[in-house]
Amino acid sequence: MVTGFARLFVILVVLFLYLPVFVTVIFSFSTSPRLSLPIEGLTLDWYRAALDNPQMAAALRNSLILAAGTALVSGLIGCACSFGILARKSARLRQGLLAFSLLPAVVPLLVTGIALAVMFHALGLSQGLRNAMLGHVLVCLPFVILTMNARLQNFDFSVLEAARDLGASRWRAFMDITLPLIRPSLIGACLLAAALSLDEFVVTWFNIGNQQTVPVLVWGLMRRGVDPSINAVATALFALLVTLVAASNLIGKRGAR
Amino acid sequence: MATQDQPLVVSAASLLPALFVYAVLLVVPLAALFGLGFWRADGFTLIPDLSFANYHRILTTGLYRDVLIRTVQVGMITAAIVVPMAFALSYVMRFVLERRGALILQLVLLSLFSGYLVRIYAWRTILGKQGLLNTTLQYLGLIDEPLVFLIYSQLAVVVTLCGLLLPLAVLPIYSAMLNVPDDFLEAARDLGAGFWQRLRTVLLPMVLPGVTTAFAFAFLLSAGDFVTPSLVGGMQSTMIGNIIADQFRGIGANWPLGAALAFVTIGAMMMACLAVVSLLRGVSRW
Repeated sequence: MVTGFARLFVILVVLFLYLPVFVTVIFSFSTSPRLSLPIEGLTLDWYRAALDNPQMAAALRNSLILAAGTALVSGLIGCACSFGILARKSARLRQGLLAFSLLPAVVPLLVTGIALAVMFHALGLSQGLRNAMLGHVLVCLPFVILTMNARLQNFDFSVLEAARDLGASRWRAFMDITLPLIRPSLIGACLLAAALSLDEFVVTWFNIGNQQTVPVLVWGLMRRGVDPSINAVATALFALLVTLVAASNLIGKRGAR
Repeated sequence: MATQDQPLVVSAASLLPALFVYAVLLVVPLAALFGLGFWRADGFTLIPDLSFANYHRILTTGLYRDVLIRTVQVGMITAAIVVPMAFALSYVMRFVLERRGALILQLVLLSLFSGYLVRIYAWRTILGKQGLLNTTLQYLGLIDEPLVFLIYSQLAVVVTLCGLLLPLAVLPIYSAMLNVPDDFLEAARDLGAGFWQRLRTVLLPMVLPGVTTAFAFAFLLSAGDFVTPSLVGGMQSTMIGNIIADQFRGIGANWPLGAALAFVTIGAMMMACLAVVSLLRGVSRW
């Protein structure tokens, strides 16, 4: 009885979380521009309309540049950081450092976004892709550190100590032992950062000036009213994000074993 | 064997790049934003100053006060729905479904990656006047006229925010429950403790840090959101984030005023958050 009730609760919660996704995917293929049931017919017109949007190419290019740059930079910095945290011998220090590294995730994105805009303005750095990229690195870092920290939990530092005892330099030990061991976790963390960056809107919006990314373009369409091509872009973005996250999990887990 | 005085294998220098990023891209910008709150704006020109005029204007304007109160309200309501839901979901995943629970967790977390803007916009499709919910209810003959209060209202804002923040609230609570050994709850049961007693005297005190983190996430991030109210909220559900955002990317933009507003908001949110956290601590100390 209790288990049955618990199951029903879990199903309802998952439905609540995924209802927006189902709706978006279904209506991206529906012929009627009015978003209501029953669905009259299926079409790919909204995908064509989305691709025909003259700003789409530039938005997509910018989004990919940001995602690649963010993945690389926050992946490397985050990896180094979580290694630095895990190698501390005091558990208290490790916990403190980890909590501190999550700080940007608790500051509302709106505040982070405007604060960065103010600083860039003061430094005379005009708004654009560069400023947005720096913002993306900041907001993706906590999630990279958190994931790497979980994946490297069982990393055996004694193999590094052994290498150092046998006379390997720090660099040599890193390249020959650490890197091959953590490569899957590192790639997994980078893919996660790419997914977060592709979906980032708020910090981008305050720092990118008049340039476009896919979310910024979608925001413009949403503000203008009901446009079914939004559902098409959203479905494509969702497919891309899920692929990246799934790949991140699969590759990362292989490393943790 | 490594001894305490041996140099560490991974030097603390590997923390430096991340610390540098946090210092230059978070601490310095927040300090700059704080400083800007005391400046003045003349059209688009920013004039350095050390005046409390912006703060004075915020605290004496009824509109800002009302919107700030409404924002804290919406954040509190959202957190009050999301945290118990996340607690119940985590409990079921951890103690009832056990192994399959981990799979459900993946599904819950994956929903975070279904697109931030999209998840908000889709609720417009669901709750709209001619949306999924209204047309379904009409089709079933349960209502004659569409329910108009579903969209462009505080209700729509709260429902949407709950969907956005539930996965984030589950994460800390579930992780905390993973550290609770099964036999703790079993021992309490063997000693005759009922379900609610086990929950309050054994489980809740053990997972309290996770619950507190979940509350902070749900409250701070929902009260700080401006996209949700501008897409599914109405004229009466403007939140402080909308007003702040407009000061930075709007027609009548006023950066110094926006900066001061941001810090008044942060202050109000911190106070509200601390009040609830100390309340939670009090409740679980039995």
